[in-house]
Amino acid sequence: MAKVLVIGAGFAGHTAALYLGNKIGRQHEITVISNRDVFGYVPSWVWVGVGHMKPERTIFKLKPVYDRMNIKFVHAAAKEIHPDIGNQYVLGEEVGTGREIRLDYDYLVIAPGPLLNFAGTPGLGPENGYTHSICSLPHAIKAREAYLALCDRMKKGDKVKIVIGTGHPGATCQGAAFEYIVNVHKDLLKKGLRDKADILWLSNEPALGDFGVNGVQIKRNGIVQKSDEFIKSVFNDHGIRYQVQTGVTKVEEGKIHWQNYEGEEGTTEFDFSMLIPQFKGQPFKYIGNDGSDISSKLVNPAGFVLVDGKYGLSYPELSQTPEAWPAQYQNPSYSNIFAAGIAFAPPGPISKPFTNKNNVAIAPAPPRTGMVSGVIGRVVAMNIVDLIKTGRMTHSERMSEMVAACVASMGDSLWDGNAVTIVMHPVVPDRKKYKNEFGRDLFISHLEMGVSGAWMKFMLHYTFIWKFKAQLGWKLIPE
Amino acid sequence: MQSEQEFSKAEKFWMNFKLYQLWRFIVLNIKVYTIAVQSKWR
Ligand SMILES: Cc1cc2nc3c(=O)[nH]c(=O)nc-3n(C[C@H](O)[C@H](O)[C@H](O)COP(=O)(O)OP(=O)(O)OC[C@H]3O[C@@H](n4cnc5c(N)ncnc54)[C@H](O)[C@@H]3O)c2cc1C
Repeated sequence: MAKVLVIGAGFAGHTAALYLGNKIGRQHEITVISNRDVFGYVPSWVWVGVGHMKPERTIFKLKPVYDRMNIKFVHAAAKEIHPDIGNQYVLGEEVGTGREIRLDYDYLVIAPGPLLNFAGTPGLGPENGYTHSICSLPHAIKAREAYLALCDRMKKGDKVKIVIGTGHPGATCQGAAFEYIVNVHKDLLKKGLRDKADILWLSNEPALGDFGVNGVQIKRNGIVQKSDEFIKSVFNDHGIRYQVQTGVTKVEEGKIHWQNYEGEEGTTEFDFSMLIPQFKGQPFKYIGNDGSDISSKLVNPAGFVLVDGKYGLSYPELSQTPEAWPAQYQNPSYSNIFAAGIAFAPPGPISKPFTNKNNVAIAPAPPRTGMVSGVIGRVVAMNIVDLIKTGRMTHSERMSEMVAACVASMGDSLWDGNAVTIVMHPVVPDRKKYKNEFGRDLFISHLEMGVSGAWMKFMLHYTFIWKFKAQLGWKLIPE
Repeated sequence: MQSEQEFSKAEKFWMNFKLYQLWRFIVLNIKVYTIAVQSKWR
């Protein structure tokens, strides 16, 4: 009997666990260790952050699902990974008791999502700083409270400044921030308060609509449309000001300090701000048999797990080498260790990086979205099943082959709601396969605004929660 | 400099015209589903 251990129960880890439980849960031991005993449907935290969805509608308990799927659940935070042959285990700390737990494994899936590195920008974040975040459920709830208090001020006649975007020169996840800013706009409009707020989009993207993926391009009626023009229209239409090519370096009460491409330094004032922090890998200790630190065999300096990607290529080389992106997410030093979702180390950025004259790199990190994380979770799970059954992996999927769909809703009404629907295929441009300057399939790629996007967003919320609960037909729903 | 680029009246009409939006909803779902299902075979 093989022991498979999954760290983390988010889009990647939970998906991997469901496939493992479904395929081999009866014959082998599948265990998930997670520091939270609920699954969180992260995309809907945008609605939590404006008070449009109750937090409890975005989560459900993991244990009942795992009981049905022949998966053991351990409610603990993983701390140490001991990967050396003969003595392979993970040490964790049980939530509530603080008791140390040892979990032995034959196969390990590392999928704990990002460490939200608020410390990377002094003054950033809701715990020790002055800005808000929607990257965790407690943060989204805190953002909602602050936002609603701001609305109360506006109702009394105060004029306010709202800044939303990225809070670090190397931050990713611009899509979530974009969805939040347009939801705030729409909510204020509905409340009759829009004229009381000056709203600014502040981001490290090289251009509007870049989203860390070098923008999205589509072909419609024979004409190529690009996301920078499209998002510009959205912002102009909504009266949202914008400032891109800007890296936030420090935050003080009511003040955001930044540098831009030109190396200029500036300050932007705010009453309410939601800025996405830099993402790093979870700070696990990787310890060898002799007790030494063997992190360099497993993770890059940012803590992301090294896998089968081709690392070290320059941006121009990488952008012409789609096969540099990992296919099986297997660690080269330890073949029984895989990483899924945000946890794996990408070989480099997708968007064009830029370093200004003060040596500040203003460059969005590549996003590993929910869909991408789910697909990787499945690929990893199916390969572990292969290895256990036949000793040979048969599944692979690079980000340069994957599709990603993001729906940035504006309000949640099915009648007069609206949304920007973004589909890109592939996520990482493949200029070898798609012979256009963008390296994308311009027919499948999709960029559109309309009420149908709001329907799509609702549908995604309910179908994905259905899928993640492993209800009837869950495998038919794509990741 | 911020350009004055905005959606035209016609574009805004189509964004809210429910029958057209139903069509776009179907197109979008077919597009995403067909490509995402191919991913399952990899
Ligand atoms: C507000 C917001 C909106 C978004 N909207 C979209 C969208 O519309 N579409 C889209 O495709 N993507 C979206 N994303 C991105 C998407 O949510 C992420 O890509 C996805 O959650 C990443 O999955 P993951 O499994 O790698 O990490 P996570 O989903 O973060 O899961 C990691 C899990 O590991 C657990 N964990 C952490 N540390 C430990 C530890 N030490 N031990 C054990 N367990 C641990 C965590 O509790 C968590 O359950 C959005 C992100 C945000 C923040």
